[in-house]
Amino acid sequence: MYKYVFILILLLFSSVQAQEEKMTVFEIESFKILIKEVAEKTNTITADFVQIKHLNFLTNDIETIGKIAFKTPNWVKWEYTKPYVYSVIFKENLILINDGGTKSDVKISASKLFKKLNDLIVKSVTGDMFDEENFNISYYKEAAAYKVIFASKDKKLASLIETFVIHFKKETGAVMEVKMIEPSQDFTKIVFTNRIENSKLNDEVFTN
Amino acid sequence: MRFLPISILFLLITSCSLQTTKNLIVKEVSHIEVDNPYFSNTYIDYIYKAKIDIYGRKFGGILIIKKIDENSHRVVFTTEFGNKLFDFLFENDTVINNFVIEELDKKFIVNTLQNDFKLLVSQKNKVLNQFDSGLEDIYKTIDDKQFNFYFINKKSHILDKIVRTSKSKVIVEVLFSNVESVIANSILIHHKNIKLNIGLELFKKD
Repeated sequence: MYKYVFILILLLFSSVQAQEEKMTVFEIESFKILIKEVAEKTNTITADFVQIKHLNFLTNDIETIGKIAFKTPNWVKWEYTKPYVYSVIFKENLILINDGGTKSDVKISASKLFKKLNDLIVKSVTGDMFDEENFNISYYKEAAAYKVIFASKDKKLASLIETFVIHFKKETGAVMEVKMIEPSQDFTKIVFTNRIENSKLNDEVFTN
Repeated sequence: MRFLPISILFLLITSCSLQTTKNLIVKEVSHIEVDNPYFSNTYIDYIYKAKIDIYGRKFGGILIIKKIDENSHRVVFTTEFGNKLFDFLFENDTVINNFVIEELDKKFIVNTLQNDFKLLVSQKNKVLNQFDSGLEDIYKTIDDKQFNFYFINKKSHILDKIVRTSKSKVIVEVLFSNVESVIANSILIHHKNIKLNIGLELFKKD
């Protein structure tokens, strides 16, 4: 009996392995070109998202829901709609926050670490994180997605987020999911849906 | 004769300048312990949207409280994006500092936060003295060199407020409101000696 269970586990494990393969050097290069092309022709992005915070001691993950808007060169509005209303706009050197009606501005230069973290969150929307200087990057392919793991080289950043795992849609190169894993293995996962590219987005969207 | 010690105590208490006990009537202690029931269920994840105002600087986040077992609570604060800012484990009378982001890792800040959240999650507290305000039963407890006063509404039997004081001054007030099924939907931690307020709103369910 145990022998069969063992074989079954082995089979399951090998099927999991088969779903995820390392990308070849050629595939990586073509993938990078795809992402670059997508970034170049994308002037605006809007999408819905579900954010899941997993803490190993909790009974349930914490789910928050919202919308994002991106406009070139680098403007991002990140808006939570449930279970609370909160929005944050990243615009040049400013972060504009509206916390359920309480508005505040923060100069990003106030904290280098927060600047780095915010840059990464903004970049993760477009998938523009291929920075070999700051990350050890590894590439995998799954059935419908490319999975890229960015392991933080910077010790300070790694003490907060050890790895960023981003899933890109195979055909379009669009970011489907961003997972930020902490050294404790607790994580934040953001899943994007209803992505619309190059629709008209007024500058007013990015005001507080 | 039985009333003499109480009267002396009453005189002693009214003669010191602590506002908290002003005009209160001293009573005989009727309970050995006073109970803070708000974070006492190990099956519940207590998740709050937090708004912090420190010397006019406002920022928000998510406060997560979980009773892990009979004697311990985990208290974690994250940004809205989910990045951890601090992570404390309160076990009996000790606090284990699991993580504090470098920007907040200053002795004064960490001590203030730990004292505030210890006050919030301490469940059973040995009663030192008892008072009556007419509307509330008030239980005084001792914590290190400070005192905590638990205000329990006589009508609703709900814990409305905890006040931490030194011998003569109020340090911080914790106000609980919109209480439903032993969960406080709104909590305000209001400091009196520094300009720090922490407002907490329970995550709404659909």
